[in-house]
Amino acid sequence: MIAPTPITATGLRKRFGATTALDGLDLEVHAGEIHGFLGPNGAGKSTTIRILLGLMRGDGGRAVVLGGDPWRDATELHRRIAYVPGDVDLWPQLTGGEAIDLLGAVRGVASTRAPNTPTARRNELIELFDLDPRKKCRAYSKGNRQKVALIAAFASDAELLILDEPTSGLDPLMEAVFQRRVLAERDRGRTILLSSHILSEVEALCDRVSIVRKGRTVETGTLADLRHLTRTSVTATLAGPPAGLAALPGVTDVATDGDTVTFHVADGRLEAAMRLLAAVGIRSITSRPPTLEELFLRHYESEATVR
Amino acid sequence: MTGTLRLLRLVLRRERVLAPLWILLLGSFAAGQAGRYAATFTSDSAIADFAAEMAGNKALLAFSGQVYSPTLPGMTVWKIADTVFVLIGLVAVLTVVRHTRAEEDGGRAELLGAGAVGRAAPLSAALLFTWSACALTGLVAALGMMKQGFDAEGSIAFGLAVAAVGIVFAAVAALAAQLTDNARGAVGLAGLALAVGYVLRFLADGGDREPLKWFSPQGWSHLVKAYAGNDLTPLALSLALTTAATTGAYALRARRDLGAGLIAQKSGPADGRLRSPLALAWRVQRGLLTGWLAGITVAGIAFGSLATAIPGLAGQGASITEFFDRYAAGGHTDLVDTYLWLMALSLGYVTALYPLLAVLRMRAEETGGRAELLLAGALSRTRWAGGHLLIAAAGSAAILTLGGLAMGAVAGDPWRVLGAVALQTPAVWATASVGVLAFGLLPKATGWICWGVFLFVNLFGEILGPIVGIPYSASKTVIPFLYLPKVISGGDFTALPVLALAALAVLFTAAGVAGLRRRAVA
Repeated sequence: MIAPTPITATGLRKRFGATTALDGLDLEVHAGEIHGFLGPNGAGKSTTIRILLGLMRGDGGRAVVLGGDPWRDATELHRRIAYVPGDVDLWPQLTGGEAIDLLGAVRGVASTRAPNTPTARRNELIELFDLDPRKKCRAYSKGNRQKVALIAAFASDAELLILDEPTSGLDPLMEAVFQRRVLAERDRGRTILLSSHILSEVEALCDRVSIVRKGRTVETGTLADLRHLTRTSVTATLAGPPAGLAALPGVTDVATDGDTVTFHVADGRLEAAMRLLAAVGIRSITSRPPTLEELFLRHYESEATVR
Repeated sequence: MTGTLRLLRLVLRRERVLAPLWILLLGSFAAGQAGRYAATFTSDSAIADFAAEMAGNKALLAFSGQVYSPTLPGMTVWKIADTVFVLIGLVAVLTVVRHTRAEEDGGRAELLGAGAVGRAAPLSAALLFTWSACALTGLVAALGMMKQGFDAEGSIAFGLAVAAVGIVFAAVAALAAQLTDNARGAVGLAGLALAVGYVLRFLADGGDREPLKWFSPQGWSHLVKAYAGNDLTPLALSLALTTAATTGAYALRARRDLGAGLIAQKSGPADGRLRSPLALAWRVQRGLLTGWLAGITVAGIAFGSLATAIPGLAGQGASITEFFDRYAAGGHTDLVDTYLWLMALSLGYVTALYPLLAVLRMRAEETGGRAELLLAGALSRTRWAGGHLLIAAAGSAAILTLGGLAMGAVAGDPWRVLGAVALQTPAVWATASVGVLAFGLLPKATGWICWGVFLFVNLFGEILGPIVGIPYSASKTVIPFLYLPKVISGGDFTALPVLALAALAVLFTAAGVAGLRRRAVA
């Protein structure tokens, strides 16, 4: 059986007056994966999510969510989607427990009291996230409001979870609880679109990532794919000066500090560089693939230079 | 006090459109009315005859206050002063709360409070600004009257009376903003004080109980008797209440935490029985409705209590004929009946604000991001909005029914009065449906349009239209309430206008909801 692709967006466009929020954005999320959605502030992540949820209509391009049109079939599709916004505002006069149940009710969660139903899962999640459900939402901190939305989303039976920077207010302990839970949901067969700025979180959780910039997708693929496309950093302590290293094709950012040299080398050019270093005499060497942070910063930096 | 001036500049920046608008509008009402009367009554004897006819009409005196001076400036003040007093009190309340408690609700006060800004600085900036704006309104009003050729002493007394009401209610709002823990509660509490002041003044003038006026801030400004006595001593009471409320506000602000009120938060149930959008809309809207039900009951009792005290009208002047033309039908000249219809209309006019506020609350659900949380679930926009609209529509009917019952019971004529008041319902719906239309098609302007529609319906037909030179016969055609059959004062019930208004309401509401379905959710 070929699982249908939960989210396919091609060439999404959206303008707000004079500013272009989305400029032909593509996004493809496969069934059963955790998909990281990365990009600088204002890159168009939340606009994309709002189009995928049918809260907004794109000016161009095409989006298919769970086989339907997110604008036309919004209500039907939303039975199968759970959403956590980055900035959760709740009803000040409701308690946290009431808000969780309300969000469940509008999503269509069964309200039976038998074990292993959403109700049991809800109470387990409340305990897990250490939330006091009797408190009025007015009195909750940002993190606690996010917990309410997260609990409601995790307690649902939705097959697609859309999480828009869901952990920006959580403490490290709760961040760990969140990460375990996301992995558990993926293992239960759910698909998760995770927009996040916390790169360690994306690195720990995501099967594939899409990086967007200025309303366009600039990279997409597994972390391994993305690394493959880029450079390895090398730090070596040498017996003598590495003459000609900087002139090698694919080698960049050469910096020498005494007998230690650091540089980046493009994929496929590593062997030539190693040969040159070995000829000089290597005392010690470390090489590592670029971190997600480095991948990400490259796009941030190129944005800065574009300006 | 550190930072007050800096915050004052922020307030000025944020008010640079709205404040000049109301200062000029409220300031020029009186001069506009004077111009219209000057054109209508071309001799001293004509205005004196008009004054004599009005002085015998208790039904109108209840609304406008006593005739203190049968002259052109005196009758101008008689006609317009109370409207200006109520409106300046209302804008003062809204302005102060917008820059104090609403800032705390939005978290912006926290952002600023972390800077080198004194704890009471936002309060000081809001009060300084609002007081200055009220004083300016009074100045504009006084200058406008002088430009009409009225004497300076009376004009200044009138300007001071106008400014005083605004200044008092600004201070009352500052106190209310400390007592409650959210902006809506603060507006509600200060609005209640405004309504109590109005009802006391109303009872004083409609029921020949002049001493009652000494208990009402609006009453103190009436007692100045501009162009008659020019007595400024009652304004000492305005000053005293302003001082007391301001002192109380500062004392409370110095003791409480940012964001806290006097009423502590309680815990609630750990799980919810809220399962439907209607149930949620009820939770969001019920406080507003409860307040209105309580308020309308008090108003109904107050209005009804005057019905038996209204004597018959003597004389046959032109303005008396005009009065019965407007508020009675078929040659009916029973003043009590006509008064009751006028009251029924008034309850309708006021009640029109409730569903508009309910629409604004729905809009606040959207802008606050709470609608998005629900609409990301399996809830259609129609059902979401439907819950709020159903409560607004049924709530309007309930408010008018309760107001009619209260007024009828006290007036000793329960069923006819109930019928007359309940009949206002389709006109209230039609008025409010313009707000729904705005919510669907021009969501960002919903606030402006809702308040604009309310003020337009209340002011245009009888006051603003004639001031700008549109005769009543034309200006009344855009006011839905004036199409209703005058069932209690000689008119026969006809279904057509009632059905037409209801149909208009349904049409606008449907168009608004259709707009909501097509637009982006904020």
